[in-house]
Amino acid sequence: MDKMLLGRYINGDSLIHRMDPRAKLFLSFYFIVIVFLCNNWQTYVLMAALVLLFIKLSDISLGFFIKGVRPLIWLILFTVLLQIFFSSGGNVYWQWGPFTVTDRGLLNAVFVFCRFVLIIFMSTLLTLTTTPIEISDGLESLLKPLTKIKVPVYEIALMLSIALRFVPTLMDETTKIMNAQRARGVNFGEGSLIKQIKSVIPLLIPLFVSSFNRAEDLATAMEARGYHGGEGRTKYRKQEWKQNDTIGVILFIVLTAALIFLRS
Amino acid sequence: MSIHIEKLNYVYQSGTPFSHRALTDVSLDIADNTYTAIIGHTGSGKSTLLQHLNGLLKPTSGSLTVENNKITAETKNKELNDLRRHVGFVFQFPEAQLFEETVLKDIAFAPKNFGKSDEEAEQIAVKMAKLVGLPDSVLQKSPFELSGGQMRRVAIAGVLAMEPQILVLDEPTAGLDPKGRLEMMEMFDRLHKEQHLTIILVTHQMNDVANYADHVIVMEKGRVIADSQPAEIFSDPEWLKAHHLGLPQTTAFAAKLQQQGVPFKTLPLTEAQLAAQLADMMNEQGGGLRG
Repeated sequence: MDKMLLGRYINGDSLIHRMDPRAKLFLSFYFIVIVFLCNNWQTYVLMAALVLLFIKLSDISLGFFIKGVRPLIWLILFTVLLQIFFSSGGNVYWQWGPFTVTDRGLLNAVFVFCRFVLIIFMSTLLTLTTTPIEISDGLESLLKPLTKIKVPVYEIALMLSIALRFVPTLMDETTKIMNAQRARGVNFGEGSLIKQIKSVIPLLIPLFVSSFNRAEDLATAMEARGYHGGEGRTKYRKQEWKQNDTIGVILFIVLTAALIFLRS
Repeated sequence: MSIHIEKLNYVYQSGTPFSHRALTDVSLDIADNTYTAIIGHTGSGKSTLLQHLNGLLKPTSGSLTVENNKITAETKNKELNDLRRHVGFVFQFPEAQLFEETVLKDIAFAPKNFGKSDEEAEQIAVKMAKLVGLPDSVLQKSPFELSGGQMRRVAIAGVLAMEPQILVLDEPTAGLDPKGRLEMMEMFDRLHKEQHLTIILVTHQMNDVANYADHVIVMEKGRVIADSQPAEIFSDPEWLKAHHLGLPQTTAFAAKLQQQGVPFKTLPLTEAQLAAQLADMMNEQGGGLRG
């Protein structure tokens, strides 16, 4: 449980930390889009160099980013294996029934792997350098135009910030209840599959009960302090677009041009 | 069952930038059939220490021996099960662990896990429900229909149903009303005296320490800073104050009387001791007057 990096902020005062969360959010999403422009070595090297530069600028050790890959490693391996065994075209190295290993398949597998790692590194960078509250504030202000077409942006942002806020709380609660049930003789993650599924019940039911109680308490506390929806609500944190953010956006425009030029 | 802890260190999330040392060189002994209170500030490492006692955490270095089970950093998780069978653990706000459809089933959950048959487990559950003072009428109800105090009793019965030899209590009376608190502490005292359970209690209530414990361990910043009897710990109000700990009500009252010139030989811990000492003094004085 402790090893989950998603949604975990590391305090710091680096160039990346100081960027406007709106810029970081937008550029992270934009990055995921342009990763799909990459289709040869030059483009991947360029992207990797850029990500490494950002990581360097964030003053956070690379180890954290590598750990961020770990929870998704099975998904990545699965996709990579699909690429290796089910691609067609190019020189065939090995064939057995529906499985073929070709040089293009191998190359694609490497690219898919790189794509995953780049995307994970970039989104880890966002969550490590931006507090959850900044992320949801940023999202709210990016989505603001959608209020024109009656999208409940304030509510979505509030739900998001509450959800993010309660991730650590729920994880603590999970550890606590797991410990309590372990002390009563439950062995999580041991025994047959049926047994393992059964062992989740004594964990899930108390978690649901406490989440509902917590939600009710939270709603009461918010209403008691005068919350009445997003309309006309002022903000405690001001978001400022600075020169660095503009530079970041320009960098990404140049990058896009370079990618289009380099891709084959 | 006795507990022996030697040079135990524990580091949370060791090897990451979040690593945080919770226990430093903790060595202590808890004898069989004793009532030990562990006191100290929030964050002093009490809860971390407790979690070692039934193998929820393994020491980063050092060792812990419960009877013949020695737990070190290398102990395999499978071997911890045997330890858990003997050590019952009542967590803070234990009512959070309830999940079954009926009170009876919830209490019978632990014995079933430890290999008792359904009938045996239910027999134990009925017995334990009685022991913690739950009326028969609630046994077939859902635990979520009960009041907070009753839910806590169900949870405690669920732990006692494991028939442990050591009972670990982490602030078992937090959030209860004064009557519930007294009833619960009296119940643990009965278990200690009648069923000869070794009890380890973490508490902020100095009154409970004075009234029930025969061994006190004081923790601060992950270290044991005192390990002795209640009478000795509470005989030094200055030291307690320096470590941000209070006195039991009775002792505080006696300390004030002492400042007014009442000559206590030793500071009393309980109301009974206070009354006895005062009576003695009055008798002596009375004797003096008559003579």
